[in-house]
Amino acid sequence: MSTVSRLAGRTVLWIWLLVGLLPVVFMVSTSLRPEEIAKRLPPEWSFTPTLEHYGAVLAGAAGTSVGYDRLLLNSVVVTAGATLLTIALAVPAAYALSMRHFRARGALSSWILSTYLFPPIVAVIPVFIAAGYLGLIDTYAVLIVPYAAFNLPIAVWILRSSIVAIPVEITEAAMVDGASTWTVLRRIVWPLLVPAVATVSILSAILAWNEFLFALSLTRAGAKTGPVGIQEFTGMFGTQWGNLTAAATVITAPILVLTLIMRRRIVAGLTFGAVK
Amino acid sequence: MSTQELTRAAAPATPLPRRAGRHRRSGPWLLMAPTLVVLLLMTVFPALYLLRASFRDENLLGGSSEWVGFDNYGFVLTDPSALRSLLLTLAFVVVSVALQLGLGMALAMPLATRTRANTIGTLLLLVPFAITPAVSGLIFRELLNPNYGWVNHYLGISTEWLSQPTTAWIALLTLEVWAWTPFVALILIAGRQAVPPEPLEAAAIDGASRWQSFRYIVLPQLMPFVAIAVVLRTIQAFKTFDSFKILTNGGPGEATEIINLGIHRVALQSFRIGAASAFAVLLLIVLSLLVPAMLRVIKRYTQPEES
Repeated sequence: MSTVSRLAGRTVLWIWLLVGLLPVVFMVSTSLRPEEIAKRLPPEWSFTPTLEHYGAVLAGAAGTSVGYDRLLLNSVVVTAGATLLTIALAVPAAYALSMRHFRARGALSSWILSTYLFPPIVAVIPVFIAAGYLGLIDTYAVLIVPYAAFNLPIAVWILRSSIVAIPVEITEAAMVDGASTWTVLRRIVWPLLVPAVATVSILSAILAWNEFLFALSLTRAGAKTGPVGIQEFTGMFGTQWGNLTAAATVITAPILVLTLIMRRRIVAGLTFGAVK
Repeated sequence: MSTQELTRAAAPATPLPRRAGRHRRSGPWLLMAPTLVVLLLMTVFPALYLLRASFRDENLLGGSSEWVGFDNYGFVLTDPSALRSLLLTLAFVVVSVALQLGLGMALAMPLATRTRANTIGTLLLLVPFAITPAVSGLIFRELLNPNYGWVNHYLGISTEWLSQPTTAWIALLTLEVWAWTPFVALILIAGRQAVPPEPLEAAAIDGASRWQSFRYIVLPQLMPFVAIAVVLRTIQAFKTFDSFKILTNGGPGEATEIINLGIHRVALQSFRIGAASAFAVLLLIVLSLLVPAMLRVIKRYTQPEES
């Protein structure tokens, strides 16, 4: 009885896992179908795969008001910028918050952590108005700075935890051997911090790459990113399934690969290090 | 601990001990300053701005802006559609997090055993979680298309999913559960793997059923992980925007207009900043109730040992 129920349980589990893949199967297979048969029902499974949609999409020839190649470039620039800014801000802050003689560190840590609750929708209106006054609408900066801000709670928290976890003995030993503060930071603290910096970079990059609300509200053409631009493939004149799914696959692929390889780190990071 | 020793040991090496002392006090603040500025700019400044705007009849199109007291709040709290969107949001958060927790638990327990099949299973499980939300919204919309979508074809039905409130909500909840259950499951898998095997073996020898073992041995040790999953998912669920915007855009009518969509529509499509601000302030008040729970859970389970 127990074996039967366990077997049944496992069957349900695997069915669930496979059904969960259906949207991805739809996305990838449709991107490879010739446009004439893309919408045929039942779905055509014996077809010669074509890369024409990928070609059209990556050449910027298809569908969107801004070429898709440009959208991807914007996504890359914004993602790289937001990730670098997050690291540049979070490492010194995390180091300061690990200093014992820094009285305000407890209160500041709590406050930084609590900003994780702050909903981006609340920030988007004032940022929209301020960016309008400053002439920053549709620039990279107006996306990079908010993305970094939304990454900071997790980034600071993870980095601080790993700085605090560095054993005193190691830094003391270096001091005894005559190393300067700077040498200790560069040669001992930083190398031990690299894994945490990698985690923070991955999380920041994923968030910036996927972000939709700010990109939708604050860009028009020049800085529009992939996830926003891709919506234009579903126009009022019917959806171009081939181009839409090819573009979707291109956006999704890097994040998917990264998440599958780095899954432990990503979950550890997203839970502020509570789950290892 | 390391840094205290580090600065103490470093101080004698500095030529001017007094200046070093002052440096010790301002140093951390200097290191913190850029982060604090960016965070203040993106959280406190917007909150204060909206608080001010919520008492004025600010409108991005008309130039007038004057003090109107609690009119905007009056509007938001008496307008049935505004109030409903707040309730819809709360209901959505509760239902979607509960579904993710239940399903996540059901998936995590069998997947927690370390076998090669389970490694593959965990990878498959993670795929939906890794899809860009704006993309999965679009993909779901195409799959649910009444004319050529796969869902109706394979189910042999002709439902107009996004044209009726009930089915639109089913679609949205399915999308959210599909995307986020893997995250919950992964947290619970880690929790299950941390349970030591000895008590379970002892219980099995004593004739405990699988349910009893789970209920009295596994579940109590899983509670911290459940708490982390629930707190994080609740916070994230309150921020949900992409999937709703793309899949239903609040429709049909306003049946799925959660508060984030409402704020976005009133502010950035109707440009009624005052009303949207009152809306946003209410959301902030609701969310701030979650702060203590979040601080308690995260600090308790992540704080590195430090006095």
